[in-house]
Amino acid sequence: MTTDDFIKELCNKAGIAFDGIYERGRKEGWLDAEDELFKDQAITRKNAARICHMYLLKNMKINDLDINGATALKDLYDCRVCANHIAQVYMRGIMNARNISRNGEFLWFDLNGEDDDLTNSEIIRRLLLVHVGDHVHQDMSRS
Amino acid sequence: MNGPAPINDRRLRFDSFAEDDLFAKKPRLPAMGWNSWNAFGSGNTEELTKAMVIKIKELGLDKLGYKYVVLDDGCYRPERVDGHLQSDDVKFPSGFKAMADFVHEHGLKYGMYNDIGTKLCSGAEVGIYGFEKTDCEDYIKWEIDFIKVDNCYYMWDNATFADPENARYSYAPNIKSIEIDGITYSASDAKITGTRAEVKDGYVTFIGTFDGTAPDHSPVGLRSSELVFGISSDEDKETDMRITYASGAVEGTGQWLQVAVGENMYFDGLEAPTQSQDVFTVSPAINIHLSKGMNKLRIMNHRRQENTLHSYAEIRRELENAGSRDIVFSICEWGKTQPQDWGHKVGDSWRILNDITFQVGSDGNPGTAAWEGDYTTAITSQYNKAVIMDEFAGLGKGWNDPDMLVIGMDGIDDVMCRSHMAMWCMMNSPLMLGLDLRRVTKGDHFYNIIANKDLIALNQDASGVQAKRIFTTYNCSEPDKECIRDNNRIDILAKPLANGDIALGFFNLSKEIKTDDPAVSVEQILDSIGHKTAGKDIFANAKEYRIKDLFTGTESVSDSHEFRAGTLNACDCKVIRITPVS
Repeated sequence: MTTDDFIKELCNKAGIAFDGIYERGRKEGWLDAEDELFKDQAITRKNAARICHMYLLKNMKINDLDINGATALKDLYDCRVCANHIAQVYMRGIMNARNISRNGEFLWFDLNGEDDDLTNSEIIRRLLLVHVGDHVHQDMSRS
Repeated sequence: MNGPAPINDRRLRFDSFAEDDLFAKKPRLPAMGWNSWNAFGSGNTEELTKAMVIKIKELGLDKLGYKYVVLDDGCYRPERVDGHLQSDDVKFPSGFKAMADFVHEHGLKYGMYNDIGTKLCSGAEVGIYGFEKTDCEDYIKWEIDFIKVDNCYYMWDNATFADPENARYSYAPNIKSIEIDGITYSASDAKITGTRAEVKDGYVTFIGTFDGTAPDHSPVGLRSSELVFGISSDEDKETDMRITYASGAVEGTGQWLQVAVGENMYFDGLEAPTQSQDVFTVSPAINIHLSKGMNKLRIMNHRRQENTLHSYAEIRRELENAGSRDIVFSICEWGKTQPQDWGHKVGDSWRILNDITFQVGSDGNPGTAAWEGDYTTAITSQYNKAVIMDEFAGLGKGWNDPDMLVIGMDGIDDVMCRSHMAMWCMMNSPLMLGLDLRRVTKGDHFYNIIANKDLIALNQDASGVQAKRIFTTYNCSEPDKECIRDNNRIDILAKPLANGDIALGFFNLSKEIKTDDPAVSVEQILDSIGHKTAGKDIFANAKEYRIKDLFTGTESVSDSHEFRAGTLNACDCKVIRITPVS
C-alpha cells in the first residue's frame, strides 16, 4: 500500500475529506512533507506508526501512554525520532510486533518493513477504535 | 561511494587525537539556549519558534545566558531543491533567513541542525554528506551562530539507520597470525591494548573501538584495541608481511585493516572478504619498513573514530571557508565513537549518549522524561556517564553533552528537575532548554529552576572546570573514574571556581529518602581538585567558610572543615558554594 493509499483509506474510514488532506494534515501537524513528496512509495511501518500516532494526538486528542512496555521491542531504540510513534501504536495494539524467535522472547518492530494491504487496513481500523481513557491493549503479534 | 575517504592528514589520525591542531578554536563556556527537539519534536514551526523567542525575551532568559535558539530536526523540506537545502514550506513558510533575522532582531543567536550522513534522523534526504560546501555556504548566508550535527544514516559506521554491514569499516578482521621473513607470529601471543579485543579460538577479534552509544560501557580509559607485535630486526630494511585473517561485516569483525610500524602507516584499507568470519585466508603482501632493533608492529582499525572526526572536520572546514561567522559547533554522534577522545579537535561540545528521551513533546503535549531507566533515556543514565568525564572537558577543549534539558516534561517532578538542573550546571553541560516556554511565567516553579542564577553561575564560571565526583556512598575505590549504574547512592561533586570558591553538590540518585549524611573534608576536596583550585592554600587554611545554599539562598558561616548535606529526600540534592574566610 502506498502512503497515498494509506492516508486515503484513513480519511475514508474516519469520514474526513481526502481532497486537500496533505495541506490540512501538515498544518494540523499529523502529516509531514515527506508524506506528500513520497506519497507514491510503499508506506513503511515506521511511517505508518508516525501517521497513526500523530493522528491520535492531533485529531483524536488522545494523550501518550507510558512506553515502558514497548522496550520489549529490540529495535525500538534504533530509531530515536520514531521510537515514541512506534511505542504508542504498539502499546495501544494498533500495530503488532514481529516475533522472530517464535518463542515469544524476541520481538521487534521492523521499522523499515512493509505490511500488506489487509494489515494496513486493520491498522487503520484499530486506530479509529481507540478512545480517550483506553489503556494498553494486549500485543496481538502472536494472535 | 566506494568507501571512506583516504585520510592523508595525520591530524585526523588516532595517534594525534590528543593534539589541538586542526582548527583555531575559540575558548567558550557551555552554550545556553533553547532547542526545539524536546519541546516539539519534528513538529516545530516558524510560529512556535517565534513564540519561543518572544518568551525568552519576556522572561529575561537571554539576560541569564540563554541566547541560542536552535531549530532541530524536522524543519527542512525532505529533499533538496537544485542541490540546496530548503525549509519545509508549511512549517517555515518564510524560510530560514527570515527566521534568522527574527531571532537576531531580538538580540538572540540562531542555530540550525544537520547530519553527517546522507539523511537526517527524521528520514529527510538532506544529510550534509557530499554537500558540505554547498550547505555550509547556505548556512553562512542564513547567518547561523550554532550548528548541531547528528549521525544518522552514516555510511562508514553501523550507526542509526545506517546499513548494519557498515561494521565492515569499523572493525579489523579477525587475526590469526602474521608472517614476516618466513617467521610466523601468532596473534594470540601478541599484546592486546585496551579491553575491546579478545582472544577467541586461537584468533583475536574485536580489534576496533567500543560503541559508546549505550550506557553500559565506561568512557574512561582506552576505548579501543590494537594488536601489537614486537618484531626484532637486525638491520634497517624494507620487507613484506602477510596476515592470516577472516573478515566480516558485524560488530566486532570487520574488513578494514590498518597496519603501522610505530606511527608510520603501511596499510589502510579493505582486505578482500573471506568466506565467513571464521574461515581464514592469507592477505597479499604488505610492504613495511623495519628499523634495526625492536619494532612495534600494530594491527588495528581506528577508522570508526577517524572517519567520524573526518566527516565533522569537513563541515567545520567548509563553514570556515564560507565565512567568518562565530559558530558554536555541537557534535551529536551520541558517544558512538568515543568523541571524548577527538571532539575537542573540531567541536565545542559532544553528545555522550543516545537521547535523554524518546518521548519528545509536540504543540500542546509536553512529552515525557524519566529519572531512571535501563537505557540512555533517563536523567540519571546521562548523569552516570557524564559525571566521570570531567577530565575530557575544559575551556578550549569543549564540553561533555548529556543532551538537552528535560525540565518541563511529564514523568519527572520538580525535585527531579531541580537536581537535573544542578547536575548539568555542576558538570558544565550545555544548557539547552527543551520545553514550550509559553508554559512558563516569571517566578513559577519551572522558571525558578531554569533561572537559578547561582546554579547558572557555576555552569558559566570563567575557569571552565567540570565538577569531579570526589565521593560516593556506592562502594568503589575511584569515584571519579568508575562507571556506576546503581542509583541507590549519594554522590558528592566538587567544582573549583575562578574566584577561589568551591561548589559542592550532594546528589541523592535514589528514589528513596537518604539519611546517610555523608561528609567531605577540606582535605578530601583538595586532594581531588586542589590542582585545579585557584588559591588552594587560602581555601585549605581558612579559619572559617561562608556557605551559601544555592537553592534556598540562605548563607551561613562555619568554622568546621567538613561539609555535609544532612538528610536528602528522594532524587533531591543540595548544592552549596563555599567561600573561604581568612
